[in-house]
Amino acid sequence: MLIYKLGKGSREKVQQFMTITGASEKVALQALKASDWHLEGAFDFFYSQPQISAANTRRLEEMYNKYKEPDADMIMVEGVSQLCNDLHVDPQDIVMLVISWHMKAATMCEFTRQEFIGGLQSIGVDSIEKLREKLPSLRAELKDDHKFREIYNFTFNWAREKGQKSLSLETAIGMWQLLFAERQWPLLDHWCEFLQVRHNKTISRDTWTQLLEFVKSIDPQLSNYDEEGAWPYLIDEFVEYLIENGFVQRK
Amino acid sequence: MSGGGPPRKRNFKIEAFKHRVELDPKYAERTWKVLEHAIHEIYNHNASGLSFEELYRSAYNMVLHKYGEKLYDGLKNTMTWRLKEISKSIEAAQGGLFLEELNAKWMDHNKALQMIRDILMYMDRTYVPTSHRTPVHELGLNLWRDHIIHSPMIHSRLLDTLLDLIHRERMGEVINRGLMRSITKMLMDLGPAVYQDDFEKPFLEVSASFYSGESQEFIECCDCGNYLKKAERRLNEEMERVSHYLDAGSEAKITSVVEKEMIANHMHRLVHMENSGLVNMLIDDKYEDLGRMYALFRRVPDGLSTLRDVMTSYLRETGKQLVTDPERLKDPVEFVQRLLNEKDKHDKIISVAFGNDKTFQNALNSSFEYFINLNNRSPEFISLYVDDKLRKGLKGATEEDVEVILDKVMMLFRYLQEKDVFEKYYKQHLAKRLLSGKTVSDDAERSMIVKLKTECGYQFTSKLEGMFTDMKTSQDTMQDFYAKKAEELGDGPTLDVHILTTGSWPTQPSPPCNLPPEILTVCEKFRAYYLGTHSGRRLTWQTNMGTADIKATFGKGQKHELNVSTYQMCVLMLFNSADGLTYKEIEQATEIPASDLKRCLQSLACVKGKNVLRKEPMSKDISEDDTFYFNDKFTSKLVKVKIGTVVAQKESEPEKQETRQRVEEDRKPQIEAAIVRIMKSRRVLDHNSIVSEVTKQLQARFLPNPVVIKKRIESLIEREFLERDKVDRKLYRYLA
Repeated sequence: MLIYKLGKGSREKVQQFMTITGASEKVALQALKASDWHLEGAFDFFYSQPQISAANTRRLEEMYNKYKEPDADMIMVEGVSQLCNDLHVDPQDIVMLVISWHMKAATMCEFTRQEFIGGLQSIGVDSIEKLREKLPSLRAELKDDHKFREIYNFTFNWAREKGQKSLSLETAIGMWQLLFAERQWPLLDHWCEFLQVRHNKTISRDTWTQLLEFVKSIDPQLSNYDEEGAWPYLIDEFVEYLIENGFVQRK
Repeated sequence: MSGGGPPRKRNFKIEAFKHRVELDPKYAERTWKVLEHAIHEIYNHNASGLSFEELYRSAYNMVLHKYGEKLYDGLKNTMTWRLKEISKSIEAAQGGLFLEELNAKWMDHNKALQMIRDILMYMDRTYVPTSHRTPVHELGLNLWRDHIIHSPMIHSRLLDTLLDLIHRERMGEVINRGLMRSITKMLMDLGPAVYQDDFEKPFLEVSASFYSGESQEFIECCDCGNYLKKAERRLNEEMERVSHYLDAGSEAKITSVVEKEMIANHMHRLVHMENSGLVNMLIDDKYEDLGRMYALFRRVPDGLSTLRDVMTSYLRETGKQLVTDPERLKDPVEFVQRLLNEKDKHDKIISVAFGNDKTFQNALNSSFEYFINLNNRSPEFISLYVDDKLRKGLKGATEEDVEVILDKVMMLFRYLQEKDVFEKYYKQHLAKRLLSGKTVSDDAERSMIVKLKTECGYQFTSKLEGMFTDMKTSQDTMQDFYAKKAEELGDGPTLDVHILTTGSWPTQPSPPCNLPPEILTVCEKFRAYYLGTHSGRRLTWQTNMGTADIKATFGKGQKHELNVSTYQMCVLMLFNSADGLTYKEIEQATEIPASDLKRCLQSLACVKGKNVLRKEPMSKDISEDDTFYFNDKFTSKLVKVKIGTVVAQKESEPEKQETRQRVEEDRKPQIEAAIVRIMKSRRVLDHNSIVSEVTKQLQARFLPNPVVIKKRIESLIEREFLERDKVDRKLYRYLA
C-alpha cells in the first residue's frame, strides 16, 4: 500500500507513528493496518512484536554509524567490507546480494541510511549477531522460485554503473555466475564464452530478464526451443552458436 | 264388340334394348383376317392395291365392337412373325451386304409402320391408352429392336461390322458414310439407350484401346512436335467422323477418349522429351509447335499447369545461371541487355503461341522476379544499363523508341526486391551524367524520372528532380555571374560552376586538393559573388568531380586542347614551372589523396595516345619513387584529346561493400519508423504479426530481414518505445 494513496488522516497517523516509534514507513503501515488504523492499537502491536522496538531502532542507528563513511551519509566499499568481515562472509558471497535486495539498495556496494536500516528491519534483526544467525535462512530464500526471480531482476539495476542504461558485460557475467551457481544451468559456461567471443558489448535489460525465462523454460538440449518464440536476438544467436559448435544437436 | 263395361287402361313401358346385338364373332375374325392380309401386303410392297378407307373402317369397327384386344394382339403377332422372317434374310446377307440389307429392311419397316399406324389410328387413340398398352409406332420400334437388333445372330455382327468399318476408316480406307449415318440414326431412333449400349459404349472402349496402342507406337518413334501434329490430326478426324455419321452427343465422349489416350497419358513424357520437348521448343522459338501443344494440353486436366510448371522451372534455372555466371557479370550493360532479350523472347512466345494466357504471363513474371534477385548486384547493373542508354545508347533514337526501351527497363525494375539499392546507384550515376554533361537527351532523362515516380511515388524521385533543378539554376547563376563580373575577370580562365544542393546529390566526402593559383583566384571571385547574393550558405568545392579544358603546346609547337579531370589539371599545371617532378613532390603540392593521385597519374602517363606525361621508370604501375616529365614528344591525330572522364563504372569490391553498408544503415530507421507506426495504431501486437506488417509496408522499397526487424524491436524496447508483455513474451505493447 503506497503512502500517497492513503487519505490525509491516515497519512498523518503514519507520520505520527514513525516519529514516536522511530520505525520505518513499512513497519508503520503494517502496525496501523493490523490495528485498523487506531494509533493506540498500533502502538500495542508495535511494542508487542519481539523483533521491533524503539531500543532496536537506536541499535540499528548505531550499527549504521559504525559502518558509514566518516564524511558522507552512506555506507561505501570500506564499510561493506567491514560488514562482511563481521558477518564472517566473503564479500562475493551471494547472501550479500540477498541482503542488498532486502535493503532495496540502488547501487552495488553502497547503502544509504534508509536502505540499511529499513532493510535490516524488514529482515527482522537489529544486531550483527542476529544478522549472522539469519544468514542461512536468507540463503534459503534463493530456493524460492518467486523470490529468486525478484532477486535476479533486482540484480540488473543494482549491478549497473550509475547513469548507465545497460549492464557491462564483465559485471553481467560475474553476476550470472554467482546467481546460477545457486540454480544450476548447464549452459552457463557456453553462454559466457559466447558473449565474450561474439557479442562483446553491454547487456540490455530485456536480454537480462529474458535469459531467466530461457533458463527456466528451455531444456539444455534445446529440444523445446522455438525459433518463433520471439526470444531476444542475442539468445537466437546463442542457439546458433551452440548448434554450430556441436554442443547441441540440430532438430 | 261387347259393350257394356268401363274402358281398360293400357300401360306402355318403353324399355331399353334387352338383348345384345352382337357382332357376329365370325365377323370379327373375318375383319381381322382382312387387316392381317393388309399388313402382309404392306410388307410385301403391295400396298397400292389396298383401300385405306376400308381398312380404317374395319379397324374402327373392331375397336368399336370391343375387339380392340384381338386387333392389338393380332398386330403384334403378325409383326413379330414378319420381323422374324426379315431377320433371317438379314442374317443370310453376305459380307458387305449385311449392313445394306439391314438398312434397307429398316427403311421398309419404317414405311410399313407408318402405314399401319395410320390404318390403326383409332385403336391407337382409344383402346391403347385405356388399356395402357404401347402405342403402335413405339411397338413397331420395340419389336424391331427385340427381334432384329437384339437377335443373337445379328446383334454382335452388327456391332462388329460397324466397329470394323470405323477402324478401317481410321486406317485410311474410304467407307460408306451415308450407310453408317443411316444405321446410327436407326439406333438413335430406337432409343438413346440402344445407341449407347449397343454401339457407343463398345465404340468408346475400342477407340480407347486403338488410340492407346497408336499413341504408344507414335511416342516411340516421333519427336514431340510430330507426335502432337498426329494427335491433333486424329482429334480432328474424330470430330469430323461424329459430324458425318455419329450422334452429336458422342463428340464430347470420343474427343475425351482421344485426349486421354493420346495426350493425358503421355503428358510428362512429351513435355520432357529430349531434344524436342517443351524446353527445346522454347529455346528454338517454335511458335507453331508451341501453339499446338498449348491448344492440345488445354483440353486435358492439369495439362496447362504441367506446361506452366516446366516452363517456370526452366526459366528459373536459365535465369539463375545467367545471373550467377561470372563471365556475364563482367559487362553490366551486356548483362541487362541479355535479360531484356530473354524477356522479349518469352513475351513473344506467350503472345503468339499461348494466346496471351495470363497464367503464363504470371509464371514468367514470378520466375524473373526470382532469379533477378538472386544476384544482389542487379539493381546496380540495371542502373548502369540505363546510364549507358542515356549517355550514348539512345543517340539518334526516336521518341517512341526511347519510350519503348525505358518501359522495358521499368519492367525489370519492378522485379527488383531491393529498390532502395537501385535508387542509390541511380542517383550516383545520374550525378555523374549531369556533371559531365554527357546525357543524350534531357527529355529521355525526364521521362525515366516520371516512370520511376509513377511506379514508386513522389519521395523516390524528389531528390532526383532536385538535381535537375540545380543544374538549371547553376546555368542561370553562371550567366548572371559573367554578365556582372565580365571586366573584373578579364582574361582569366573561364569558370563553369554547378552548385549542388547537399541533400539532393549523393554524399561525397570532399578531400583536399590544392588548386593552381590562377584557378583559385577566379574561384574565390565566384564564391564572393555567390555568397553576396545568397547569404547564410556555405560553398565547398568538390574537386573530385570537376573537369577542365587546357590548351597545351608541345615540343614541336603542336597545340592540343586537353579535356581532363580537375585533379589532372592540378597535376599538369605544376609542369608550367618545372619540367620534371617526383611523385612525392606532386603529392605534396597538390595534396590529392594517394589512391586518386595514382589513378590520375596513371591516366596521364601510362595510357597510349594520352601520355602527355612521361614516367620514369616506364612501368605500368605508379610507385611512390617515380618521376614524371612533361612529354614534349606527345602526338595525337586529334586536336582535342580527352583524358579521363568521370564515367559511371561498375563498382569495385570495396566500393560495393561500402554502398551496401550505407544502404543497410539507411534501412534501420525506415524499419523502426514502420514498427512505431504499426504499434502506435495497434497498441498491442505479437512478434510475428509485427514482422509481417513491417514487411508489407516496406516491400515497395526492399525486403526487410526478420532478424534486423527483431533487433530494431529490441532497440525500441531499450529506448522505452515498446515493452514486452509480462506474461507472454511474444506480445509487445506500445508505450505512449
